[in-house]
Amino acid sequence: MSSDQDHLKETDTEERFEFKKEERAAVKSDKGLTEEVVRLISEDKDEPEWMLDRRLRALEHYQNMPMPTDWPGQPDLTELDVEEIVPYIRPDVEKREGADSWDDLPEEIQDTFEKLGIPEAERKALSGVGAQYESEVVYQNMQEQWEEKGVVFCNMDEAVQEHEELVKEYFMTSCVPPSDNKFAALHGAVWSGGSFVYVPEDVTVEMPVQAYFRMNSEGMGQFEHTLIIAEESSEVHYIEGCSAPKYGSHNLHSGGVEVFVGEDAHVQYSTVQNWSKNTFNLNTKRALVEKGGRMEWVSGSMGSKATMLYPCSILKGRGASANQISIAFAGEGQNIDTGAKVYHNAPHTNSTIESKSISKDGGRTNYRGLVHISEGAEHSSTSVECDALMFDNESTSDTMPYMEIDESKVDVAHEATVGKIGDEDVFYLQSRGLDDDDAKQMIVSGFIEPITEELPIEYAVELNRLIELEMEGSLG
Amino acid sequence: MSAATVHETISEETVRQISDELGEPEWLLETRLDALDALDSVEMPDVIRTPGRDWTNLDALDYEGFVDPLNAAEEKDQVGPEEAEVLPISEAVSEREDLLKEHFGSVIDPEENYLTALSTALFSTGTVIYVPKNVDAEDVTIRTTQHSQSLFNYTLVITEQSSSVTILERQDTGDDIEGERYYSGLVEVSAGENSHVQYGSLQDLDEETYNYTLKRGNTDDYATINWIEGNIGSRLTKSSVETNLDGEGSETKTVGAFFGHNDQHFDVAARVWHNTEHTTADLVTRGVLDDEARSVYEGVQDVGRDAWDTSSYQRENTLMLSDESEADASPKLIINNHDTEASHSATVGQIDDEEMFYMTSRGLDDETARNMLVEGFFVPVFEEIEVEEFSEDLESKIQARLR
Repeated sequence: MSSDQDHLKETDTEERFEFKKEERAAVKSDKGLTEEVVRLISEDKDEPEWMLDRRLRALEHYQNMPMPTDWPGQPDLTELDVEEIVPYIRPDVEKREGADSWDDLPEEIQDTFEKLGIPEAERKALSGVGAQYESEVVYQNMQEQWEEKGVVFCNMDEAVQEHEELVKEYFMTSCVPPSDNKFAALHGAVWSGGSFVYVPEDVTVEMPVQAYFRMNSEGMGQFEHTLIIAEESSEVHYIEGCSAPKYGSHNLHSGGVEVFVGEDAHVQYSTVQNWSKNTFNLNTKRALVEKGGRMEWVSGSMGSKATMLYPCSILKGRGASANQISIAFAGEGQNIDTGAKVYHNAPHTNSTIESKSISKDGGRTNYRGLVHISEGAEHSSTSVECDALMFDNESTSDTMPYMEIDESKVDVAHEATVGKIGDEDVFYLQSRGLDDDDAKQMIVSGFIEPITEELPIEYAVELNRLIELEMEGSLG
Repeated sequence: MSAATVHETISEETVRQISDELGEPEWLLETRLDALDALDSVEMPDVIRTPGRDWTNLDALDYEGFVDPLNAAEEKDQVGPEEAEVLPISEAVSEREDLLKEHFGSVIDPEENYLTALSTALFSTGTVIYVPKNVDAEDVTIRTTQHSQSLFNYTLVITEQSSSVTILERQDTGDDIEGERYYSGLVEVSAGENSHVQYGSLQDLDEETYNYTLKRGNTDDYATINWIEGNIGSRLTKSSVETNLDGEGSETKTVGAFFGHNDQHFDVAARVWHNTEHTTADLVTRGVLDDEARSVYEGVQDVGRDAWDTSSYQRENTLMLSDESEADASPKLIINNHDTEASHSATVGQIDDEEMFYMTSRGLDDETARNMLVEGFFVPVFEEIEVEEFSEDLESKIQARLR
């Protein structure tokens, strides 16, 4: 953010994202992370025994695992005190049985989403909207035509009850086990809410499935879990949007995303995140891709104090592929450490990674990625491209790619460029009558176009608007 | 990572004996003893780590087995033109103590890591090269043939204002020795204002030898340090070639080539720090891997806060000739000044089927075609090397390996 806070307060874009609902919670667990807390969460959700066991096992992993501290140039996590963060808050909102349209939602929540700008006109066109207010998905809607075809889109808590066998098989087992890293373990212990998407064989969901998450209580964590299962030859595009208003104490967001891409299936997962400037955003996202399947990650990371996020694709079957495009924007005091991980574990697998970052007013962006090509994954190819744009000399931008190649019949390429916004470009636009800010805004919009063109219109608009907000009053 | 345990061949007594035989002044003995003490507390050099994996495990080496400094034996040529001073370390300590005192340990901190400290405590051979103001010195040659279990070598290069020097260093092994060997070489280069240093190194130790080398230079204003780093031999090489661009308008170019076969392991790094304005760096490395050889490459371009108007380029290409070989690459860019033009790239691939087909359809047998393509792969590196003698040497070593 620019130092010009007063000026920002007058803009309505700011207004759209920074508003605060009075906190109303029905159940609020004690601070800190103990077995009691985990049991309370599980009990409150009326979960089956096996899920409680999994939570407790994850808690054990969490307690035994070290904080990640020895990564070169990683964000500073010392200010993050998990014990201070309340892991679970259930909003005091009556979930109405069979609320099947937007208008049936409580006004307060409608208002929240109104401000976040999911446009009215778009809503009707959406095939489903799941919205997470606090830790609970309070509204989901799936048009009948999908239900008839057997497509399931519901909140994760519901899925545990209604689709127990599927969840039991896929939830934090082969994709993201709780032993993966400390925050995956934390997530496994206290996860709450999130979306469950199941697409049966040969079904194509033409409309993007959407969900919106939001943190609205000071000092609370959010641990939503998304599980997407796309059976053979199916196709689905899942979109998640996130934003959080600003508060004084540190928030933690530690979500988990697991995607199972069946044979010849195609899944796209898009997210635009705008966490408040005091959020630690530490996620684990991973996809397992079977033979001929295709996984696409599209992400825009805005806001947060520190982000560590490296969506991972494991290409298990012959001919599987993964594409990833991401944009990161770091302003004052922010450290956005993101990248990608791809494991090529079968022949004829392909991956492309395109990463763009913008740093401004002393912000730091870092691309950290790993491409691993296992022995036997012959005729695989990967290409990684990183571009960074820097506004000023207080900002930093780093690139730390790692490549592990155990197979000779492959094609691997990594490239990166770093540049500043060209004075000439700005001059050209100014000489055509744009002022300095608009000129820079335009250059940035052009720079991130590869990302925005992958997003449905309202998300592209939101991402551009968020960037506009970050850019305002920029002194470059 | 914890440091290996210190054992009997690495003792104060040993250090005093080496220092005494070289007739060293008290301050140098003290520096050695401090480095010896530091062995208890300093870490191994950094290696690339990805979650769950160290790419080179230096702790696993049996230092106890191959460190035997008192029996160091070598053949050395240290020749240069008259206008430059090229002194064996034993002469330098008495004749040019002033230079040594001023520069020893000024570029590489002896206690930077376990292996630099070990080398500082135990080095018994080396060369000091001094090039006075306005002197152009060509053809300084340092040829070292190791005959003993271990050899610790120290090289210091000092160029005064507007001078230039070309240095070619070669290492190989002579007499057969029972068991494994260890070669350690530290090279410090202090390039004065507007001076020009070319430092080529061609390592062809036998494949029972573990090799650690760290070469680092500091540049004054408008100075240039160009490195050529060829690695052919050794069982395991951990090599770093580094430049601190401290002076305005200074430049560096690092050209690296390696060719691994059997179960050789090359851990090579090229690093540059842009510490001030208008500096330029170009890092170019190419490597070929056959059989079960393994390479790890790290390139670092670090652009500091004050490094306005920086240009920094890096490319690394690896060619894999066998399915059992493995290559890792990590080209890193660290940018703290936005007035920068920087790029880096790394590729890993194999011989192109179409190219092979083209050659074989012209009547070449498979092996000849493959060898031509491997030689062709190194051409961009040869083109970067400005010292003809060095390119020819490297080329003949590559050809020898292909036969």
